[in-house]
Parts: sequence; C-alpha cells; structure tokens
Amino acid sequence: MEFDVPEHLRYAETHEWTDEHNGTVRVGITDFAQDELGDIVFVDLPAEGETSQRGNAFGVIESIKAVSDLYAPVVGTVVETNHRLRDQPELVNEEPFGAGWLVAFDPDEGTDHLLTAAQYREQV
Amino acid sequence: MVGNPSRRDHSDHASRSDRARPFGTRAGSPFAPTVDPGAMLDAVGVDDLESLFDIPAPLRFGDTLGIESRSEQDVVREVTGTLSRNDSLTEFLGRGHYEHYVPSLVDHLADRSEFLTSYTQYQPEVTQGFLQALFEYQSLLVELTGLPVANCSMYDAATALGEAATLAGRVRAVEGSTVLVPSYLRREFREVLENYTAGTDLTVETVGTVDGMVDPETLAAALSEDTAMVYAENPTVEGVVEEHLSEVGTLADEYGALFCLGSDTVALSLLQEPAAVGADIVVGDASVLGLPAAHGMGLGLFACREDFLRQVPGRLVGATKDEDGRRAYTLTLQTREQHIRRERATSNICTNQAWVALRAAIHAASLGPGGLLSLAEQCHRRAETLAGRLDAIDGVEAPVRDCHHFREFKMRVDPDAQRVAAALRSRGLAVHPLGADELQVCVTEANEHRTDDLVSAVEGVLG
Repeated sequence: MEFDVPEHLRYAETHEWTDEHNGTVRVGITDFAQDELGDIVFVDLPAEGETSQRGNAFGVIESIKAVSDLYAPVVGTVVETNHRLRDQPELVNEEPFGAGWLVAFDPDEGTDHLLTAAQYREQV
Repeated sequence: MVGNPSRRDHSDHASRSDRARPFGTRAGSPFAPTVDPGAMLDAVGVDDLESLFDIPAPLRFGDTLGIESRSEQDVVREVTGTLSRNDSLTEFLGRGHYEHYVPSLVDHLADRSEFLTSYTQYQPEVTQGFLQALFEYQSLLVELTGLPVANCSMYDAATALGEAATLAGRVRAVEGSTVLVPSYLRREFREVLENYTAGTDLTVETVGTVDGMVDPETLAAALSEDTAMVYAENPTVEGVVEEHLSEVGTLADEYGALFCLGSDTVALSLLQEPAAVGADIVVGDASVLGLPAAHGMGLGLFACREDFLRQVPGRLVGATKDEDGRRAYTLTLQTREQHIRRERATSNICTNQAWVALRAAIHAASLGPGGLLSLAEQCHRRAETLAGRLDAIDGVEAPVRDCHHFREFKMRVDPDAQRVAAALRSRGLAVHPLGADELQVCVTEANEHRTDDLVSAVEGVLG
C-alpha cells in the first residue's frame, strides 16, 4: 500500500509530521501512522502554554486496538490544539495532514533535524 | 508444574494406588482417561519431562512440601474442630465492617453456575447476563452518587481511595501533588494510600478535624496550590454524618484540587448526594450490600466525573447494540487497562470483584429504591436510639459527638474503656475500645436483637 507523504513537510522517526508556517510548527501524525493505529477514538492533548522538549511525550492517541504516546518533534511551547478532535477524533484517520492535525508549537528551534519526505518514505 | 512428579516421594499415595488397582488399572479405567507421559514424550521427541522446562536451578524448590496426607474425612473433622474454637460473640464493632441481612435470594441467584466463574467477561457473546448485572451495579452507583461514571468495582474501599489519588495525579486539570486526608482516616486506609502514592509525585498529609468532622477553616489553612486532592468520609469511620461537605467541595475547587468522598451504598441512599456537594470522585465500600461482614473481603466502589472517563481505573461495562439492533453489554474503553496499555495503564489492578459486585447488585435490586432508603433510615434511627439508651446510664456519655450518626457512634465511659470492653466480651458482646475512656458501638438489623443485652451489660459493668 502506498502512503501519502507530502513533499513540503518534515517527519520524525516516531511518525509525527511537522509543518513550519509563519513562525509556528503544526504537528500531526502521518498517513502511515494513522493506518497502523486503525480507527482513532480519542486524542489526549496538552494544555495551551505547556512547554515540551524534543522527543517528550506531549499527548496520547488512542485507537480501538492500541494506545500510543505522541512525541514532540521540536522544542517549543504549545500555542494551539485542535479542539475539533475532542468530538471528531476520526479526523486523524480521514485527513491526517489536514483537519486531523494535533497541536501547534511556538518552536525554539527549526525542523532541519527532522527527516525529509524522501527520507521518511525510505523508513516506511 | 515444576520438575518431574514421578521423582517425588509419595510413598503413601503410591501404596493407595496399588490397593486401588483391582478396580481399574491406570491404563484401563473407563471413567477417568489417563495418559502415558512416555508416549506423549515420544510423540514430541523429548527424552523426559524435565527437558520441557527451562527453569533456572536457584528458582527450583528441591525439597518436599511437608504436607501430611490425610483422608477427606480426617481433614473435615480437623477443620470443623478448629472452627468450633471460634467465639460466638455478638459484634457491635463496625468501623468499616458492617453486617446487613443478606436476603437468601442473593445466594440463590449468585450461586448459579453461570455466575460462578473466575473468567473475566471478555467475551460479550457468552456473558450477557453477567455483563448486564455489572452494568446495573454501575448504574446503581451512578444513581446513588450523582456522578455519571462508575466502574464495575475495585478490591475494596482502601484501594479505591489509592486509585482516586493516582487519578488526581494523572489528570491534566490538577497541578498539585499533595493529598489531604482527615485525621479520622483509618490507619489501614492510610497505609494502602501511602503504598499507592509511593513512587509517584504524590504525598499524603493529614488535616486536623473538629468534633470528628472536617473543619472548613482548618482545611482552608491546609490547602494550597500544591493540593491535588481532598478526602473526606460521610459517614466517617466514627459514624459521624459530616456537616460541611459543600464547603469542602467549594474549597477544593478554589485550589484546583479534586474532592474525593468516601461512603457506602447504604449510606448514600439517605445522605446528601456526593455530586451535589461538589465531589469529583466517590470511593468506598459497596460490600455493605450482598456480603456478610467478613472483616477482610470488601468491594471497592469507584465513581467520578465524566471528564475523567479515560482516566478511570479498572473495568467498565458499557451498553451498546448488537448486530440486530438489540441492547447488549460489553467491557469497554479497555485501552485504559494493562493488557493493552501496558506500563501506561491507568491502574496496576487488572482484575476486579465481579462476583461480589453481582451480589451487591442483586441485593440492591431486591431491596429496590424504597427498601434501600428504609434500610438507611433504620441505620440512622437505630444508632440514635441505642446511644440515647446508653446515655441514660450513670457514667456513660453517648454519643460523644453532638451530631447525627449513622450505624455507629462513640460513647465515653468511666473509668477504663479496656476494662469495660473486656467485661462486655465476657458477656458475649464485642465493642471497640478506643483510647482510655471511649468505646465505639455499631448497631444494624443484624445485632439489634441484642441491644437490650448490651444496655443491661453496660449497666452491670458500670454499676
């Protein structure tokens, strides 16, 4: 099966994607990750204002068959979380790179340390 | 199985087998299928049983167990003899263990073989009856507490309290790490709570009480931004009906702490609804229904607010629909639990008290709402009546606390509580001596017929 790996994003080995835009970094999980997890039923996200170190678990994503930690791909402060996921966690399955985004960070670093689309494609 | 059983020395057993042989050889019994381990080992290509196990030598028990072999009849005689040495005191004990009459209906239904299973209800297709009973148990707790979520049991009240504390430590809405408990908290509960909080960021601190109740002013002084949870009981372990719970709930809320209330299923039928006084979690003992006072076994009730649903410990039964649209029940939200979430599970407890919860549900259903309320009213009335009768005796002050009581109360005696308790004991009556000059007395329908004896015994001892 071919998974969507958009060219303009950067990726963590733990299957989070990042989209750096206007000084914030939006984070979600990849098409591959949502497919592995299966139907997402709950996403536990941090409060706005929480800070995170790179690689720290900042939230939890729960599917009907598994629970996984979400790891912060960058150092930063949470400035926004996707409130729609509270009632519609299935958005993560339906649009992992769009309406199913998770949190936005005000980053203290760039995303150059992360994988490129080509490198991530190699991994999955 | 460890090692090769044939190597063990069971000379007595062997000789009995020899004697039994005329009635059916090992290979030939038509009733009990026997297997030849040698043939099985040959079939899998292994020389001996030993080579099927890979247990390091230091972990092996090389000795004999030293259990004397006796016939069933001998064992029954000995155990019966030992049991007959139990005293036959009438207990007025209480303090966390309460005897209520359990209708015979409970034994009759709960002893059905469909319910007598140690298996968890993981397969909804074969356990609808049990799952429905557990769902009804949860629904009972939801109605009694006013809180929308209840699990289908913890081990006992103390472990439920421990779980409440760790829940407070987990939820994002709570930032603090101190658990405040009232000075009346039983030592056993405190110890279990300390066990639960060991290894977490949580610490347990005691708040002083006034007249056996949580005092809002004292509590306010103890509260801080670091408070994670405030615990109180209603009724307290001394039978006191708390009078300031709304203030406790408001205070806890002001400091961003959770308010956990301890109670039981009978008391909850009459006393203020926990949700109405701001309780976020209710714990306590549900085995006041369905079980006799066993002084050990319990049934932990656990209910909480809906926003903690994903943080609830233990099993949850949910109602759903089957393929044909009919109402059906199943264990749900299992991703909280250890068999899926492993080290990130909400609790280390991966079993529960399903059969005891079943008994509690049957007992509650057999009483009905009116029966439960009537039982609870009697718990209040009996305690006040007995206290009044004891108070009329010279040298007795009962109850010590000037407030409403439920099931039990403390009385002050002159001069020596230990001596009075011992004298009552010699007359076949058990009460709790507390400190130098106080006794605690508990009365329910199970011992009410002996209250005349108790009153005259106290008169006799002090007269």
